[in-house]
Formats: sequence, C-alpha cells, structure tokens
Amino acid sequence: MTAKADSSPSGAAPGARSLHRFANPGRFLRASARVQVWLWVAAALVLGAGLVWGLFLSPADWQQGQTVRIMYVHVPMAWLAMGGYTALAVASIMSLIWRHPLADLFARELSPVGALVTALCLATGSLWGRPMWGTWWVWDARLTSVLVLFFLWLGHAALTRAFEDQERGARVGAILALVGIVNIPIVKFSVDWWNTLHQPASVTRLDAPGMHVDILYPLLTCALGFSLLFGAVVLARTRAAVMERRIRALQLARARREEAAGA
Amino acid sequence: MSHTFFITASYALVLLGFGALVLDAARRHAAAKRLLAELDPRGDRP
Amino acid sequence: MTRKKRRLYILLLCGLGLGSATALTLTAFQDNLVFFRSPSDIMREAPPANRAFRLGGLVEAGSLERGTGADGKPTANFRVTDGAHVIRVSYAGVLPDLFREGQGVVTLGMMQPDGIFRAREVLARHDETYMPPEVADALKRAGHWNPAQGAAPPPAEWNTAPRRGG
Repeated sequence: MTAKADSSPSGAAPGARSLHRFANPGRFLRASARVQVWLWVAAALVLGAGLVWGLFLSPADWQQGQTVRIMYVHVPMAWLAMGGYTALAVASIMSLIWRHPLADLFARELSPVGALVTALCLATGSLWGRPMWGTWWVWDARLTSVLVLFFLWLGHAALTRAFEDQERGARVGAILALVGIVNIPIVKFSVDWWNTLHQPASVTRLDAPGMHVDILYPLLTCALGFSLLFGAVVLARTRAAVMERRIRALQLARARREEAAGA
Repeated sequence: MSHTFFITASYALVLLGFGALVLDAARRHAAAKRLLAELDPRGDRP
Repeated sequence: MTRKKRRLYILLLCGLGLGSATALTLTAFQDNLVFFRSPSDIMREAPPANRAFRLGGLVEAGSLERGTGADGKPTANFRVTDGAHVIRVSYAGVLPDLFREGQGVVTLGMMQPDGIFRAREVLARHDETYMPPEVADALKRAGHWNPAQGAAPPPAEWNTAPRRGG
C-alpha cells in the first residue's frame, strides 16, 4: 500500500509525458481523425444490433413482462453517467496537476453530454418505476444520489462556461468535478449501504449475475453500443473545440495584421 | 396506460436525446473543419 | 519538490479530507438515509405515535386478502415480514403491478393503536432477479422455487452465464 502510494507520482509521469504529445492540436486532430470514423461505424453497428435484440428478440421478464425492455436503455445511461463522471474526474486531475490543455477542452465538451445522459437515466427510470413500483419518483438514497450527480454535471457545464478566462473556468470546473467524485461510490453502493426502493445490482454481483443470459447479453450489447456512441460524440465535440480554438487564434492574427497594415 | 406507452416513451426519449447530440456534434465538427480549411489552407489539419 | 508533485500532494490531501468528511457525515445521518424500516426495526424501537413512516419487507405467503371497501374502492389486507417479525397492514386503493405474495413492498402509513399498520401508499419493490417466464416456470415445476415464499434460488443454479468471482 505504502509502496504503491510512493510509486504513483513518479509512475504516472511517463504516461502523462506521452499524453502530452497530444497537447499539440495538429497531432491530436490527425491521430483522432481515423479513430473517429471507426467509432461512428462501430457505434452504429453495435447499438443497432443491441436495440433490435433488446426491443424485439429478447424474452419478456417473468414478472415485469415487456416493461423489462426499458432496462436496455436505462442501465446503459446509468453506467455512462457514472463512467463518464469518472472520466471527467481523471481529466480534472490531468488539468490541475499537469495543466494539460486538451484535458480542459475534453472536460468542457464532456459535461453537457454527461448531463443529458444522466437526465435520460432519471427519465427512463421514472418511466419504469411508474408501472412497476407504482410511483414516478421516491427520495430514496439511490434516486437522490443520481439526482445529485445530474446537478454536478450541470454545475460543471455551467461553471466552466461562466468565466471570461477559459483557463480559469477549466480550473474551477476541475475542482468541482473532483469534489463531486465522492458521490460516485455513494451512487454505486447506496443500494447496499441503506435500504432503498431501488433494487440492488444484478450484473456486478460477486457470485453470478442475477440476470438470465437471454436478458443479460442484449443489455451488455446495448451498453457497449451506447458507450461507443457516447465516445464518438464526445470525441467529435472535442475535435470541434480544438479546431474552433485554432480558428479564433487565426482570426485574431488576421485582424492584427490588417490593423497593422491599415495603420 | 399500458406498458407499450412506457416502453415507447423511454426509447423515444433516448433516441431523441442521442439524435440531437449526434447531429449537433456532426454539425459543429463540419463547420469548424470548413472554416479552418478556409482560414489556413496549408496548415496542419485532419 | 517540483510544482507538479506539490500539486499532486495537495490534491491527494484534499481528497483524503473530503473522503473522510463524507464518510463521517454519512455515518452520522445513517438513520435518515434509510428509505424504510423493517418489522424488526419497529419491534426494537417503537415508532412515535401519529407519525407516518415507511414499513418495508416481504408480503407473507398466504396472508393477502383482497376485498372491496364501502366506497367501492379495492382494499387489501396482508402481513409484511422480514423473516423474524410480522406486521399486519391494511390498505385501500389500487396495488402496483408487481404486488404479489413473496414480493418486496414498501408501504407508507401510520401504526394504529390496534397494532395494524394503515397504509396510504403501497409500492412494490423489485428484486435483482431477471429471468424469462420459461425459466421461472421450469424452476417452479422442479420444486426449486415458490415465488410466494420469497426470493429466487441463487443465480448460479439457473443462470448459464459464466461464473465469476468465488
């Protein structure tokens, strides 16, 4: 434990150095161009297959009936909301410690997507809860902590855009994101720590998944498909943001040249 | 309200949400790429 | 010490402080974070009179009696158990789809002086078991499981997914 803690700062440095290669915007744009095409194609194929499987080919549940199909969109949204937030926290660490400029842009482009995904998780959960539990919403620990996660995403999106100085906005947003990371284990373990209306985890149980494979496999396919699409969207937004920054710099330089020529 | 309503509403919301995300990202990406090509025809671009 | 290293240590220190503060707060508010109380909780510590609270547990097998109230509304009487203790519940209104004997429920209401919990809201609690109807029927036929008696047998017995962990 001690050895691990001691080695982590120096151990992380080479990785960070290699990541700094992508701080060069031209290199990042070239390297990600092909990745992006493959991401879009893979997302379309996997998600298409997963949705058809989940919506038409998979069996109903013995007690939920057809309503179990809502899970094929609800659970991937929940996983993306939490996984995406973890990625935001990693980007925030890179931003605060190594001042990685690409991490700032990535975080800024990630949070609106994360907020939407979390909102979709809450909405689809509500649409499942009404017929199954008998209520749209309860204030149990799971639902409340996911609502807090939604506000953290929204807060990050708003805060990074609230400052004239973009770097300052990124710094403040990164601090918010890292403070909010305490909520992630609370979301995950709320169903084990306290009794809640929301059911405990089915897929990540220690012994065997509590979900029959005929339901589990379409769920995993949908989850992979949505993750690929999420990745493709965030990558496209980040690439657009890198190009927009370059455009602003070029326009500024041109305006200065014209000013100098005029004077 | 039957279960069909809840299932349809869930899938519709998710598809609309992601559809909007994809369209917005693609539009922004294409616009930035075009403008960059205009401003800097020889620069390092994707 | 480089500036990067100093920033890393500051961040680690803040994380440690924030983490322990959160853990302490959550432990302190433990009682307010639970959504419902089990019959055993209520036996151990009687709830304050005339205060609504949530009672949760399984609907005991063979305890459900449906009827129709004087106003034509459906009524239900059943017992909620957590294995150790049992509380009788009466409710007037429509029960959710998932409600059945052996299912988890969370009810909101007040304890009456006669020891019956009068619920004004009944929510069904879903467990973490998902299976196609044929699998459930096969388990019931083989005598491995009676849904009215409680949860399904461990998934390792019926799920063909590769086992993980220990």
